Amino acid sequence: MNRRHFLQHSASLVAIGATAPAFLSRAVAADKNDPGQRILVIVQLAGGNDGLNTVIPWADDAYHAARPSLAFKRDTVLKINDHIGLHPGLAGMKALYDESALSIIQGVGYPQPNRSHFRSMDIWNTAQPESEITGDGWLGRALDSSAARFAGKVPALALGMENLPLALVAPRTNVPSIRSLDDYQLRFGDVPASDHQLRQSLARKLAGDGKADTSKDDLNFIRKTLGTAIDSAARLKEVAASYEPASPYPQTQLAANLKTVAQLIAGELGTRIFFVSLGGFDTHSRQAGSHAALLAELSGAVAAFFKDLRAHKLADRVLLATYSEFGRRLKENGSLGTDHGAGSQMFVVSGATKAGVFGDHPSLTDLDDGDLKHATDFRSVYATLLDRWLRIPSEPVLGGKFAPVEFLAV
Amino acid sequence: MNLAPYDSHQQGWTRRDAAHLLWRTQCGASETEITRATGDGLEKTLDRLLTPPEEDAAFAEAAALLRQTASDSDNIEPLKTWWLYRMTAGPSPLKEKMCLFWHNLFATSNVKVRSARHMGAQNDLIRTHALGDFKALLAGMARDVAMLIWLDGNANRLRSPNENFAREVMELFTLGVGNYTEADIKEAARAFTGWHVRNDQFWFNRLQHDAGTKGIFSESGNFDGDDVLRLCLKHEACPRFIAMRLLKEFVMPHPDESAIAALARCIRAHDFQMAPVLRELFGSQLFFSASARHSLIKSPVQFVLGTYRALDVRPNLKTTAQIIAGLGQDLFQPPTVKGWEGGRLWITSATLLQRANFAASLTNSDTYGKIGAPLISIEQQAELLLARDADTSPAATYFDKASGSRDDRVRGALHLILTMPEFQTT
Repeated sequence: MNRRHFLQHSASLVAIGATAPAFLSRAVAADKNDPGQRILVIVQLAGGNDGLNTVIPWADDAYHAARPSLAFKRDTVLKINDHIGLHPGLAGMKALYDESALSIIQGVGYPQPNRSHFRSMDIWNTAQPESEITGDGWLGRALDSSAARFAGKVPALALGMENLPLALVAPRTNVPSIRSLDDYQLRFGDVPASDHQLRQSLARKLAGDGKADTSKDDLNFIRKTLGTAIDSAARLKEVAASYEPASPYPQTQLAANLKTVAQLIAGELGTRIFFVSLGGFDTHSRQAGSHAALLAELSGAVAAFFKDLRAHKLADRVLLATYSEFGRRLKENGSLGTDHGAGSQMFVVSGATKAGVFGDHPSLTDLDDGDLKHATDFRSVYATLLDRWLRIPSEPVLGGKFAPVEFLAV
Repeated sequence: MNLAPYDSHQQGWTRRDAAHLLWRTQCGASETEITRATGDGLEKTLDRLLTPPEEDAAFAEAAALLRQTASDSDNIEPLKTWWLYRMTAGPSPLKEKMCLFWHNLFATSNVKVRSARHMGAQNDLIRTHALGDFKALLAGMARDVAMLIWLDGNANRLRSPNENFAREVMELFTLGVGNYTEADIKEAARAFTGWHVRNDQFWFNRLQHDAGTKGIFSESGNFDGDDVLRLCLKHEACPRFIAMRLLKEFVMPHPDESAIAALARCIRAHDFQMAPVLRELFGSQLFFSASARHSLIKSPVQFVLGTYRALDVRPNLKTTAQIIAGLGQDLFQPPTVKGWEGGRLWITSATLLQRANFAASLTNSDTYGKIGAPLISIEQQAELLLARDADTSPAATYFDKASGSRDDRVRGALHLILTMPEFQTT
C-alpha cells in the first residue's frame, strides 16, 4: 500500500464509521521537508565487523599480502572505484550506491582504540571514550535534550534485541525495547470485557501518573517504564492494523525487524529513532562463510527496506546508518579468521544522502600496532546525524564540537 | 558499612526480616517457609540454607530421568527443564541460586558450544563447587570442554596464540577491566597455548604449548595455565572482583567501597571458600540494612520462580523455561560472554508487559502451572508477596468492583499485585 492508498484506506475507515485513529492527523501533517519528521534507523553490527573485507581495498597489494587466505581476488569485488569495492555479498548495497542512496564513510574510529567488545561497544554507545562511567547513551541524551518535543510519544524504539541498547539509555526518557509487535500487548486471558477494561485501567494506575515522582531510584524507573509500556502498547495496536509492505522482504531476522520499522514509520507512530542489531561478526576463525552470510543478510534487508520506503514515498525522510564496535586486524590469524582491530567504515543509506565515498581508505602500511588508523572521529558522524539530520544540537550531547562529515544533501 | 553480624535478638526478627532473607537466598518463600524461618530465627535458618539435606530418592530419580532426556537428544531445551526442576523441587534452592550466579560469571552459551552434554557437564562442575572452593571451580573451568569451545581453546596454538580465553579470565572471571595490561593478556594467552579439546575431553597438546618464559603482573617464569590462574587469584583485585559480584547479586546494586573492601577481606580470609563467606554476608548488618532491602531488581528467574514458591505452584517446566527466556534470561544461552548484566537492563517496557502477561496467565490458566496456595485475602496476598508497605488499592479496587466469583476476583487482584512495580524488586 503506498502512502496515498494508505490515506484513502484510512479515509474509508472513517467513512464507514470507525473511529479515526489518533495517528492519522499526524500522517496528513507529515512533510518530507520538515526536519521534525525525519527518522534515523541505526543498525548495529555486533561483534566487530571485518571492515577490510566489507569495503575492500582491492587494488592495494598490502591487502592481498596480509590476507593470503581471506583476501578477495580483484575480479570478485563489486568495484566502487579504482581503489575500493564491496564484498560480493553486498549486491543490494552496491545497487543502492549506484542509485545514489549509499554513502560510505571510511576510516571511522576513536583515539586509543579499546579491543574489548564490551568496552568498545560502550564507547560507541555512550560517545564518551574517556569516561569509564557508562550511565547513558548518545541517543538517549539527545532524546532527553529535546524531551518536550516527544512528550506522550514513543520517541525511539529498539527492535528484536535482548536488552535496550546502551545508546538509547537516558535518565529521563524511557525507550521501549521489543522483540516483535505481537509481544507488545497487555493481555488478560479469558475474563469478561468489563473486567478487562477495569483491569487495564487499574494496571495503568500501578504505574502512577509519572509526574509526582521525579526521583531516579529503581522503583520509580520501573513505574515510569510500566506507564510507557501500557500507553505505547495501546498506540502500537492502532498503528499495526493498517500496513502492507510494497515489496517482499528476505526471510531473515534483520529483514523482519526492518519491515516492522517500515510499518511503524508508515503508520506515523511519531517515533524518530529506531535501533536494530545484527550479531555474529566476531569472526575469529573460519570467517569466510559466516561473514559472507552476515553481509548478505545486511545487504538484502537494507535493500528491501529502502525499496519498501520508496514505494511509500518515505525514503527521503529516513536515514539508516550502520556501525560496529571495531574493525579487525589487517593480518588474518592462524585460524582462517581475524582478531579484534580498530577503526572501520560506516554505511549511510538514505534518499537524502550525497552518495559517495567520504574520507580516504586507511593506509595498510602506516599502522598502529598492527591496526588501521582512523581518520574520522565517530563523534563527527554522530554530530552530523544530530545537527543536520535530526536537528538536535550535538554539542551538549557529545560534550564538545565535532566537525561534520558532508554526506547529507539536505 | 562493614560485615558486622546482624544481632537478631537485639534488633528484632520479624516475618519481613525472614521474608527478606528467603527471597534473596532461595528465590521466593511460601507462607509456611516464612512462618518456619520466623520461628527458627536467623542462626538456625542460615544453618539450614547453607547445609542442605541430601537429595531424596524420588527427586534424584526424576532429575536423572530429565537429565538423561537431555543427554540422549543432545538438545538444550530438556537440559533447561532439568535445571529448572532442580531449582524448583530440589533440596537446596541456595545452591541452585549460586549455580546460576556462577553460570552468569563464567557465562558460556550453547549457541556456540552446540552440545547439551558439554553444557550439562559444565553445570555439574559448577554445582560441585557452587558453595565450595572458587579456586577449584576456576581450575575446572579452564579445562572445561564447553568453556574451551566457547573461548576458542583449540585455536590457541604455539605460533598463533588466541587471546580469547586469557582475556576473559582476567576481564570477566577474576579481576575486571583496569587491573591488567594488554601485555599481561598476550603473555597469559601463551601460557594457555595447547589447552585443547580432543574426543570431547580436555587435552594438553604438548606440541602446541609455548614452554618459554612469560611475564605476567611483573612476575616471570615458565608459566602454564594453572600458574596464570594462581597469579590471578593472588592478585589483590580478585577477591574484590568476586565481592563486587556477590554484593550486586545478593545485597545491593551499588555497594560502597567499605562493603566491597570488607567482603573482599572476608573472601581472602576464607581462601575463596564460598559457604563461610556467604554465611557472614547473609548474617551481616549490611544484608539487613535499610539500603539493602528491596534494592535489587528481580531477574526473570527470581521473578518467575519466586512467584511459584510464594504461591506454591506446581510448574509446567517447559513453558516456564520459555517464559524465563522470553523475559531475557535464556538459561545456558546468555547473550554474551559478559553474561546477563541484570539490574535495570531486566526492565524494559516490553519485558514489563511480558511479566504482566505471565502473571495474567498464571492466575487465569494452567499454562505455567497450578497455584497450590490457598486464595487468601488481598491484604494477606500483598504481605506474602511484597513484604513491604505499598499502595495495594488498585488490587483491592479490582476485588471490590469486578464481576465473577470471589476466587475469580482474588485471582484478578493477584494478577495486579504481581504486576506492581514493587513486586519487580526484592
